[in-house]
Amino acid sequence: MKMGKIKTLLKSGVLLDLYFFKNNKGNFIAMLIWPYLMLGLVVGMGFLFGSPSTFKKNIGLNIDPIAYFIASTVVMMASISVMWEVGGNVLFLRWLGALPYVIVAPHRMSIILVLSYVPRYLFYTFIQVVEFLPLLVLLEGVTAGIIKTLIMLLAVTVGMLPLLGFSALFASLLLIIKEESNVLNWLNPIILIFSGALYPTSLMPYWMWLISRVLPTTYTVELARTIALIGSPELAPIMFLIGILMGLAVVYNILSYMLIGAGEKSAMKRGII
Amino acid sequence: MDNAIEVRNLVKRYITYERKGFLTKVKRIVEALKGIDFDVKRGEVFGLLGPNGAGKTTTVKIVSTLLLPDGGYAKVLGYDVVEEPCEVRKVIGVSLSVEKGFFWKLTGRENLKYFGMLYGLDGEKLKKRVEYLLDKLGLKKLGVADKLYEEYSLGMKARLSLARALLLDPEVLILDEPTLGLDPPSARALREFLVKLAHEFDKTVLVTTHNMFEAEMICDRVAIIDEGRILSIGSPKELKLKVADNIALEILILPSPATDLDRLVEVLIEETEATCSIVSDVNGYRLKLIVPPNRVEELTSISVRLLHKLGCSVRRVEVKEPTLEDVFIKVTGKKGF
Repeated sequence: MKMGKIKTLLKSGVLLDLYFFKNNKGNFIAMLIWPYLMLGLVVGMGFLFGSPSTFKKNIGLNIDPIAYFIASTVVMMASISVMWEVGGNVLFLRWLGALPYVIVAPHRMSIILVLSYVPRYLFYTFIQVVEFLPLLVLLEGVTAGIIKTLIMLLAVTVGMLPLLGFSALFASLLLIIKEESNVLNWLNPIILIFSGALYPTSLMPYWMWLISRVLPTTYTVELARTIALIGSPELAPIMFLIGILMGLAVVYNILSYMLIGAGEKSAMKRGII
Repeated sequence: MDNAIEVRNLVKRYITYERKGFLTKVKRIVEALKGIDFDVKRGEVFGLLGPNGAGKTTTVKIVSTLLLPDGGYAKVLGYDVVEEPCEVRKVIGVSLSVEKGFFWKLTGRENLKYFGMLYGLDGEKLKKRVEYLLDKLGLKKLGVADKLYEEYSLGMKARLSLARALLLDPEVLILDEPTLGLDPPSARALREFLVKLAHEFDKTVLVTTHNMFEAEMICDRVAIIDEGRILSIGSPKELKLKVADNIALEILILPSPATDLDRLVEVLIEETEATCSIVSDVNGYRLKLIVPPNRVEELTSISVRLLHKLGCSVRRVEVKEPTLEDVFIKVTGKKGF
């Protein structure tokens, strides 16, 4: 694929979001408030059942629970966002009646879904991470706060790469089946459970643990915890997880490139586009 | 290459499941297309005319690369729709529905810019093309180019849909029921624009409709399709002649006072071998001849010559052809409910 075409696809994604924000200011404000609402919910729930001291005791490290939850909230929200947006985009376009007009664009469907979404992801995530910077600086000091923010940015950017392919696989599934919204509703929480977002993967039965190893979200969750748990972040465990995520990115993006074509073909064969 | 679109023995079956009980479903195969053939010549407006469920939309979806056929093939400008879909997509513009397919929270201009970029246009080229189309389709004149799509009327949506189909300035336009639900002035404006596109800008247009009047107005050739088969194909005139057993020729005459009207009718029957009758009219007399469709021109000139010879002044000659609706009903054998 020519660079010019990649550029116009990326630009089309930017354009779409800029127009959405311009015409829906409330949407933009909601986007800004959303991360703090999520953090408030998670921390609020924590305070309901315990205190910062019990949190530190359970974790076994001297770490601020708010700083911990900032990192995990950002990475988790970014992961969910990729799965919902790339996978759900097919749904949204079908609902709008715009799917045929996207398919008749002279590019592959998987490339359109992924490339036109990347700018939105980077933009949303960057804003959300930067939004937490003042709070992190307040909690951990200027240097540690900035370093943690930068590492979070790196983590969510790298974490996005395999998730793009993974979510495009989702999209191909949604193209094939008819009750697509149901699938998106139940598949997302299951993936998060298998990824260790709710319970550590070490507590899972062996078969669940095996599945968790092939899910890219498992590593983004681990990355979030690693970043959150360390007072002054060490690069070695982070780089290890980033390496795994890069490897999975290659595998999932190749798979999605092949399978979304099959999904598209199946939908075209059955006449459900 | 004379043909812009070539369709041969196209077959499409849909598998549906009919619920028979709480847990049981019965598989049913619906044959939407049963081997259809047609060609669309470059620069012509070709209509697929048929009732609901005839196979029109299935055909245009296959030609637009949005549906895979189960047999046969379709080519657009020589590119196979199954083997070379990307090539086909570069030369076609598609409009499948006039009432949806855009982002509701974007304006008409923004929607066109987004789709233009998705289709590979950029920079000044995109800007110029969008402005040109907004102008050409009358959206600027209506003052709605910068209004949100959700505020558009159906007529405006139809114009925007056509504008999107024209973004890449495609050689072939594929339109599914482009005037469905439009008010008469909007429908007329759209029809006129389509004819102009084909004849002035040399575009090929494949259009589906079940509106006989529309088909007659805009199509150079029409294929009547029903239950997945093409029943008849040709120009509206050819189709009408094909089904007409006889055509009525009405001649308004003003005879001289000496003219014997009974003799006049006898002579006409003798010379033309047609059935002939005469009735008085406020403006003179109305002669009605029932003639075979292949001899309309010949018998018209014979009759006029004879009438002059017999001292009649010929005021008006009218050929009462069947309408496309007559053709449609005769060919499909359908009379409604």
